[in-house]
Amino acid sequence: MVGMSMQPYGIQSMLKEGYRHLSGLDEAVIKNIEACKELSTITRTSLGPNGMNKMVINHLDKLFVTSDAGTIVNELEIQHPAAKLLVLAAKAQQEEIGDGANLVISFAGELLQNAEELIRMGLHPSEIISGYTKAINKTVEILEQLVESGSQTMDVRNKDEVISRMRAAVASKQFGQEEIICSLVADACIQVCPKNPTNFNVDNVRVAKLLGGGLHNSCIVRGMVMKSDAVGSIKRMEKAKVAVFAGGVDTNATETKGTVLIHSAEQLENYAKTEEAKVEELIKAVAESGAKVIVSGGSIGEMALHFCERYKIMVLKISSKFELRRFCRTAGAVAHLKLSRPSPDDLGYVDSISVEEIGGVTVTIARNEEGGNSISTVVLRGSTDSILDDLERAVDDGVNTYKAMCRDSRIVPGAAATEIELAQRLKEYANAEIGLDKYAISKYAESFEFVPKTLADNSGLNAMEIIAALYTGHGSGNAKLGIDLEEGACKDVSETKVWDLFATKLFALKYASDAACTVLRVDQIIMAKPAGGPRRDAAAAAGAGAEED
Amino acid sequence: MSVRVLNPNAEVLNKSAALHMTINAAKGLQDVLKSNLGPKGTIKMLVGGSGDIKLTKDGNTLLKEMQIQNPTAIMIARTAVAQDDISGDGTTSTVIFIGELMKQSERCIDEGMHPRVLVDGFEIAKRATLLFLENFKTPVVMGDEADKEILKMVARTTLRTKLYEGLADQLTDIVVNSVLCIRKPEEAIDLFMVEIMHMRHKFDVDTRLVEGLVLDHGSRHPDMKRRAENCHILTCNVSLEYEKSEINAGFFYSNAEQREAMVTAERRSVDERVKKIIELKKKVCGENDNFVIINQKGIDPPSLDLLAREGIVALRRAKRRNMERLVLACGGEAVNSVDDLTPESLGWAGLVYEHVLGEEKYTFVEQVRNPNSCTILIKGPNDHTIAQIKDAVRDGLRSVKNTIEDECVVLGAGAFEVAARQHLINEVKKTVQGRAQLGVEAFANALLVVPKTLAENAGLDTQDVIISLTSEHDKGNVVGLNLMDGEPIDPQLAGIFDNYSVKRQLINAGPVIASQLLLVDEVIRAGRNMRKPTA
Repeated sequence: MVGMSMQPYGIQSMLKEGYRHLSGLDEAVIKNIEACKELSTITRTSLGPNGMNKMVINHLDKLFVTSDAGTIVNELEIQHPAAKLLVLAAKAQQEEIGDGANLVISFAGELLQNAEELIRMGLHPSEIISGYTKAINKTVEILEQLVESGSQTMDVRNKDEVISRMRAAVASKQFGQEEIICSLVADACIQVCPKNPTNFNVDNVRVAKLLGGGLHNSCIVRGMVMKSDAVGSIKRMEKAKVAVFAGGVDTNATETKGTVLIHSAEQLENYAKTEEAKVEELIKAVAESGAKVIVSGGSIGEMALHFCERYKIMVLKISSKFELRRFCRTAGAVAHLKLSRPSPDDLGYVDSISVEEIGGVTVTIARNEEGGNSISTVVLRGSTDSILDDLERAVDDGVNTYKAMCRDSRIVPGAAATEIELAQRLKEYANAEIGLDKYAISKYAESFEFVPKTLADNSGLNAMEIIAALYTGHGSGNAKLGIDLEEGACKDVSETKVWDLFATKLFALKYASDAACTVLRVDQIIMAKPAGGPRRDAAAAAGAGAEED
Repeated sequence: MSVRVLNPNAEVLNKSAALHMTINAAKGLQDVLKSNLGPKGTIKMLVGGSGDIKLTKDGNTLLKEMQIQNPTAIMIARTAVAQDDISGDGTTSTVIFIGELMKQSERCIDEGMHPRVLVDGFEIAKRATLLFLENFKTPVVMGDEADKEILKMVARTTLRTKLYEGLADQLTDIVVNSVLCIRKPEEAIDLFMVEIMHMRHKFDVDTRLVEGLVLDHGSRHPDMKRRAENCHILTCNVSLEYEKSEINAGFFYSNAEQREAMVTAERRSVDERVKKIIELKKKVCGENDNFVIINQKGIDPPSLDLLAREGIVALRRAKRRNMERLVLACGGEAVNSVDDLTPESLGWAGLVYEHVLGEEKYTFVEQVRNPNSCTILIKGPNDHTIAQIKDAVRDGLRSVKNTIEDECVVLGAGAFEVAARQHLINEVKKTVQGRAQLGVEAFANALLVVPKTLAENAGLDTQDVIISLTSEHDKGNVVGLNLMDGEPIDPQLAGIFDNYSVKRQLINAGPVIASQLLLVDEVIRAGRNMRKPTA
C-alpha cells in the first residue's frame, strides 16, 4: 500500500493513454511558432516570379513540380496542428480568390517569427495579439489609400486592361511565359464573361491538356474539347443542330422488371420487328426535327446507333453529368431525359463538331463561334505531364484573378512597392501609439519587409541594398517604387506595369494575420492518440527529402 | 484487507488515500479548465485522432472532447455537462467551483476535520446562498415587449467569454434578435426554430442573421431558376418519385408498343401528383409571381423536368426540422397530400435564391412576412472558426432564452460571488452552531474562486483584487471586477449580467457533488490497475 499515497497528479493522469497535453509558453506557443516558421521557410523560396520550384511526391507517389504554394502545402499533408492552421488559411485564400496562398503562409510565418522575438522580450501573447489586430485594421485602411486612382472601374472586356491586372499573378507561376498565357486566358475569359461580370463563373473556362508541342502551340477553342471519340462512324458535322438526351439513347424500359411473353417463333420474330420499328420511329423523329448530332448521357444501344448511322446522325457520348451540362451550355440545348422527338426550342446549335487527333490523343472539338459564348477552352500543349500541370495551375490562377477583378477591379502597386509603403506608414503609426501595442505594431510593419527581401533573394540580388533603396524612395514620397527584378534595381511600377489586385492582397493579409493571431491565442494543446490506419512514413520521408532541394 | 480476500485482483484505496485521490483529481481538472474562464481566458487547441483541429474556450466542448479516464474527474465532468444541458452555460465555473470546494476541504481535513462535518456545513451554506441569491437577483420585466437592452447585456456577457470582443459584440445583436423573432406569447421558446447554418466563406465577421431560412441544398435541375422573386411557397411531404411496389411485381408484354404503354402507365400516378401542383401554380401565380416547392421526400428527374418546364423551382429532401421552420417563417402549412391543395396552404417569400460555393449549394428564402423562425448564417474561413462560433451562438441563444424565462438576472463580473461570500462570513456563520461553521467558511471561500480566476487570467494580482473587492462590499457597495485595470466596477453600469438559472444550478450542483466526493472513503476497482492503465 506504499504506492497508493503517490497518486499521479495533474491532467496527464486523467486522460486516456496516448493523449498528449502541451501547455504554457515554452511548450505550446513557442513550439507552434517554430512549426509555422518551418512551413513558411519551405514555401517562401517559391514566392515571386523568380521563385524556385518544389518537387513534391505525395502519398500516392504522384510527382508535382511546382512553385504554387497552394499545391505544395496540400500535398505535404501537414500533421502539426499549428502549421495546419496556416494551411487552412491558405486554403481559404485559395477558395476565395484562387491566388496569393504563398503570401498568406509566408506572411503568417513572418508575423509569428517576429512574435517569437517579442515573447522572448517578455511581451505576453495577448498583448501581441491586440497589437497585431490594431495593425491589420490600420493596414486595411492604408491599403485602401494605396489603390491606384482610376482603377475602380474597368472594362472587363478590354484585353489590355485585363492583362495588366493578371500579369503579376501569372508571372509568379510561369515567369517569362506570362505574356503568352495571359493573352490566352484573357481571351478565354472575356469571351465567356456574362453581361453582368460579377456572375462570371470560373467553371466556364476549361483547360484541356494535350501532351506534345510546346506552349506556343496552345490555343483557344470557343466551345469544348472532350477527350473522347465519336461513337459512330460519322466524325464530322458542320453547322449542325444538336439534340441532347441525358438518359441514354435506347429503347424505353420500365422501372419494374419486364418480361417478354412469347408463345411461338413467329411472335419472337414479330417482337424483334416491333422493337426495331419503335427505335426507328424515335430516331426518325429526332432526325426530322432537324438534329444532326445526338449527344447521349448514358448508354447507346446498338440498334439505335444503327439507325442513327442510317439517318446520318453523328452520335457522341458524354457520361459525366457535369460535362453534359457544360455541353448543353455550349450548344444552348435543353437536355431531354428520354429519347423522344425534341421541340425546336430544345435543340442546340454548333458551328462545327469534329473528331481530331492532336498529339496522339483523339479529341472531339465542338465549336460555337457565333451563338452562345458560354464556354471556352484553353488547349495547353507541353512536353511533359508535370509541365502541363503547372501550366494549368497558372491558367487557373489567371482565371481566378479575372473572376476577382470582375468583382473588385481595384489595383495596388505590385513588386513589393505596396509592402514597403505599408511598412513605412505602419511604423509611423506605431511610433504615435502609446503603450505596449507599439512594439507589436512595429514588428508587424517589419514583417512586410520579407516580401522585397524574398523577391530579391530569389532573384539573387542583394536584399539589404534593395530594401534600403526602396525605403529611401518611399521616404521621399514615391509610393509606387518597386523592384525591377530583371534589372535588379528599383523602378516605378507604373513603368514596369506590375500591379496586384487589391482584393488578393486584402484577403491574403487578413487571413494571414487571422491565422497568426489564432496560433498565438492557443496556450494549451490536447492531442488525441492518432487514429489507426496504414502508416505512410515511407511516402512522408520521400516528401521530406524532396523539400530540401 | 477484506476486499482482497474476496477478490485478490481488486485494488483498493481507502481512507485518506481515497480522499486524496479524489481531491487531486478535482484540483487537476480545475487546473485545466481554469484558464478558460472569463473574457480574458485563453484558447485550447484540441487535436482529434485524425488530426482534425478544434479550438475552444468553452468548458463544455472541452470536457466532451477530452476523453477523461479518472473516475472522480468523470463525475465532475458529468455534473458540468449536466449544467450545460440544463442552463446552457457555466460549465467552467462549475468545474472550478467544485475543484475549489475540494481544495478548501483538503485544508480542513488535513487539520483533522471529519468530512461529515464539512458536508453539513456545505449544506447550510448552500441553502443560505440560494436564499441570498433570491434577494440579490435583479428582476427584469418580460412583457410583450422584451427589454432588449438587458437581453443584449446578458448575451454579450456570455458571448464575450467564448469569442473575442469584436465578434462577440456583433453576434450579440444577432442572437438577441433571433430569439425575439421566434418568441411567441404564451409559449415556451423552442430554440430549434432558429436554424444555424454555416458557410465556409469570407471572414467570421460576415456572420449574419437571415430573416427567413437558409437550406443547405439547391434545386437539382439545371433549368430551374437560380433567383426568384415574389414566391409562393409550397411546403410538402409528398413523394414525387416512382416507388417500387412492396410486392414483387413484373410486367409481361409481347411487343414494343405494349411496353411503351406500360412505361407511361407506370409513371401515371406520379405524373398526376405533379400535375395537381402545376394546376395550383397556374391558379395562384400571376405574371410576376413564382412558385417554389420544398419537399421533404424525393422528386425524381422526370418530375423535376415537368416542374422545370412550368418554371417552378423545386427542392427535394429537405430536413424535417426545416419543414417546421419553413411554415413558421413563410406562413402557410405543410401539406401531406396533393389531393386537397388550396392557395391558403401556400406560404410567401419575397426572394428565393441559390448561392453556390464550390461544390456546395445553398438556397436562401428571404424577405418573408412576419417570420417566426430565422437563420443565423455563420461564416468563417475555416472549419475550426465556424465550430467555435457555433458553440458560442448556441450558448448565447440559451442565455437569452434563460433570461426571458427567469425574468431576472444576476450581476456578473464576480459581484455575486463576493457578495455571497461576505454574507456567509458576516451573517450566516455566526448563526451556525459548532464545527459546521468551518464548513460554511470553506464554502464561502470557495465562492471566491470565480473572481480570483478572472483576475488571474487577466494577469492581475489575485490577492489585491480580492482585498479591494471584499472591502468595497463591506462598505455596502456591490461591485464586480474590471478586467482591464483590476479596479472594482459597478456591473450594473458596465452591463455585465449573468443568468439567474446558471448561478442557481451552479450553487445547487457544486456542493452536492463535492459532498459526495468528500464522503467517499474507499475506492475499489476490480481487476485493473488504477495508476498505470494497462497497455
